[in-house]
Amino acid sequence: MEKQRSLIALILVLVVAAIFILVKVPLQLGLDLKGGAQLTIQIKPTEEVTSINPDDLNAVKRVLENRIDSLGVAEPIVQTVGGEKILVQLPGVTDPQQAERVLGGTAQLEFRKQIQGSEEQFPIEYQILQRTQAELQLQRQIPGEDNPDKITELKESLAKANTAVADLFTSVGLVGENLKNARPQPLQSGNGWQVAIEFDNAGGRKFAELTKNLAGTGRSIGIFLDDTLISAPTVGPEFADTGITGGSAVITGNFTIETASDLAVQIRGGALPFPVEVVENRTVGATLGQDSIKRSIYAAIAGLVLVLIFMGVYYRLPGLIADLALAIYTILTLACYSLVGVTLTLPGIAGFILSIGMAVDANVLIFERTREELRGGKTLYRSVESGFYRAFSSILDSNVTTLIACGALFWLGSGLVKGFALTLAIGVLVSMFTALTCSRTVMLLTVLGIPKVRQKPELFCPNLPVA
Amino acid sequence: MKFSVMKGRNLWWSISAATFLGSILAMVISFTQFNAPLLPSIDFVGGTKLQLTLNCGVAGNCENPIQTGVVQEIITSLGLGNSKIQVIDDYTLSVRTQNLDVEQRTQLQGALNEKVGQFGPETIQIDSVGPTIGQELFTSGVLALIVSFFGIIVYLSFRFQFDYAIFAILALFHDVFITAGVFAVLGLVGGVEVDSLFLVALLTIIGFSVNDTVVIYDRIRENITQQPDKPIQTIVDDGVNQSLTRSINTTLTTLLPLVAIFLFGGQTLKYFALALIIGFILGAYSSLFLASTLLSWWRELQEN
Repeated sequence: MEKQRSLIALILVLVVAAIFILVKVPLQLGLDLKGGAQLTIQIKPTEEVTSINPDDLNAVKRVLENRIDSLGVAEPIVQTVGGEKILVQLPGVTDPQQAERVLGGTAQLEFRKQIQGSEEQFPIEYQILQRTQAELQLQRQIPGEDNPDKITELKESLAKANTAVADLFTSVGLVGENLKNARPQPLQSGNGWQVAIEFDNAGGRKFAELTKNLAGTGRSIGIFLDDTLISAPTVGPEFADTGITGGSAVITGNFTIETASDLAVQIRGGALPFPVEVVENRTVGATLGQDSIKRSIYAAIAGLVLVLIFMGVYYRLPGLIADLALAIYTILTLACYSLVGVTLTLPGIAGFILSIGMAVDANVLIFERTREELRGGKTLYRSVESGFYRAFSSILDSNVTTLIACGALFWLGSGLVKGFALTLAIGVLVSMFTALTCSRTVMLLTVLGIPKVRQKPELFCPNLPVA
Repeated sequence: MKFSVMKGRNLWWSISAATFLGSILAMVISFTQFNAPLLPSIDFVGGTKLQLTLNCGVAGNCENPIQTGVVQEIITSLGLGNSKIQVIDDYTLSVRTQNLDVEQRTQLQGALNEKVGQFGPETIQIDSVGPTIGQELFTSGVLALIVSFFGIIVYLSFRFQFDYAIFAILALFHDVFITAGVFAVLGLVGGVEVDSLFLVALLTIIGFSVNDTVVIYDRIRENITQQPDKPIQTIVDDGVNQSLTRSINTTLTTLLPLVAIFLFGGQTLKYFALALIIGFILGAYSSLFLASTLLSWWRELQEN
């Protein structure tokens, strides 16, 4: 009795603590439930660096974090997954286009110098490049006319034109990293936008040097974004002595407000050390996720209420005690999820439902055993004790096998499967605890503490042969 | 009243063998049609799926249901002719197509918004999966399955005996395979796709089914130690009978919430719930009727 009383006290304390945790730290819902965009970004090794080490991965992660910060999304999550992927979660974002463009772009910005002797060739090549770009743009916009061959052809000539132009420039080591800031700015004359940039000290010196060399020669600065020339301004002869000093400049070139701010964000975020690609995009609108989930959760709750009623009707008094244990189980499990920091997703909910099934099963096993012992003519107290004792090996073995499966799934599975394995494993562990302590303690306490119960074994099992 | 599972064992085996062969057949037919044993969603083969719902809060937006023809025209004009278009409940449009990059997708969404009507951002669903990701998801899932099978065999061999473990895994495989077979049929008949949630459903079935089998084996093990002289057939029959009520009750209580989700729940979980319902029923069946009878058959063989 003494032991049971202290166990009851322990359970009460745990339940109160669990409720407190749930109130203080609400459960984290996954984006599939609350709406938002989840992007998986794959880092691609280059010819020079064929494998990605953890430092590289973290470098990319930092750059992506910077870029996301400049998007202004509330509470974004950026985490590395495996060796070469980064998972970006943007809660509430249902139009991930901008995010995808900004995150997926490598945006390696470089200011290059046009080489000597290319003064005549450059305008020709540059014109070819611009014409091809315009043609491609046009081809893509024609509605109703679909001409993939033509587009492929244009893309090929574009790549050729790009290389031809790029060959006319040489690097002076002035790259995106030398930039301090970049922001979109309306053009002073007429419509259109430009990107204002600011260099750091080293960048400012290099830029002055570059402009000094080119001033008055008629040769251009090549502003390359990812090896594509986006703008080729020339420098007036008045800068021949000092170059453009002060460390700031503007990039002009056919920008709209969107393209200008995209570019500014990319530049600000810094250049990525590796090319990346958005390989997966899962976006769920806020109400869509909630609607679907609400309906499913209501349905599941209705089902569980039926389970509780069934337990009470079929197993009588012990069934009611098990119902109480299940309620405690639910509170404790949810509190554990919140403590461990589980993010509840659809598969996670599946794991939880399954673990409820297993918690019920543990009780069913025990009660069936108790009934068997009662029918065998044992006293109520002895039946209850041996019911628990004999069901234990079943419960242990079945739960351990489930835990083994969970372990394998957790270590090897992908994100979705991991969530499932984690919720199920926590659920199974808590269910062992509640079935073997809660149900047992309350039951023994009822049997021992209330003499009237002891005289009525039919509360436990109907149609008992009269002893 | 005692029920003898052993007497009907040829019947149980025939039923299972027939369903098993049926599943293989469905998968073969499916393979000739879709080049995969089950109709795979973009989760496994890559692609883009857009689900958009008209914003009916805007005046005049929902006067007419969405016409598949109009959508088809727009999509063909963008060079995405072989996409799958579906209109759900008049105002929701679902388009499944090849893997689109962000520019192409923006273009498609823009064209749809312009010509079909204004779609609400709150009810959008975008799934875009690169071809390699699907492959990885599949491989890691299968690898996890194999390792968990192996882990279960080792544990059961240690706690029970090696033959118990093998038959438990056999029963498990039976449940998972036939569930997949049913979905192969659903894919052929109703175009039901299997996605990553289906993979999770299979894992859940494994958890449940092994649980069921272990409970019955536990009872058989106990009976063997208590009455070592009894023939194995009687032992197994006793074990099944003693576990019968428990198995039925547990399966019923687990099925109740699932059936509720299947009937009244949201679209996303419908087929997930169905997979679990099929798998759990199979799990209970195979534990009671297959794992037990196979074990007894094997022990008889060894005694002779």
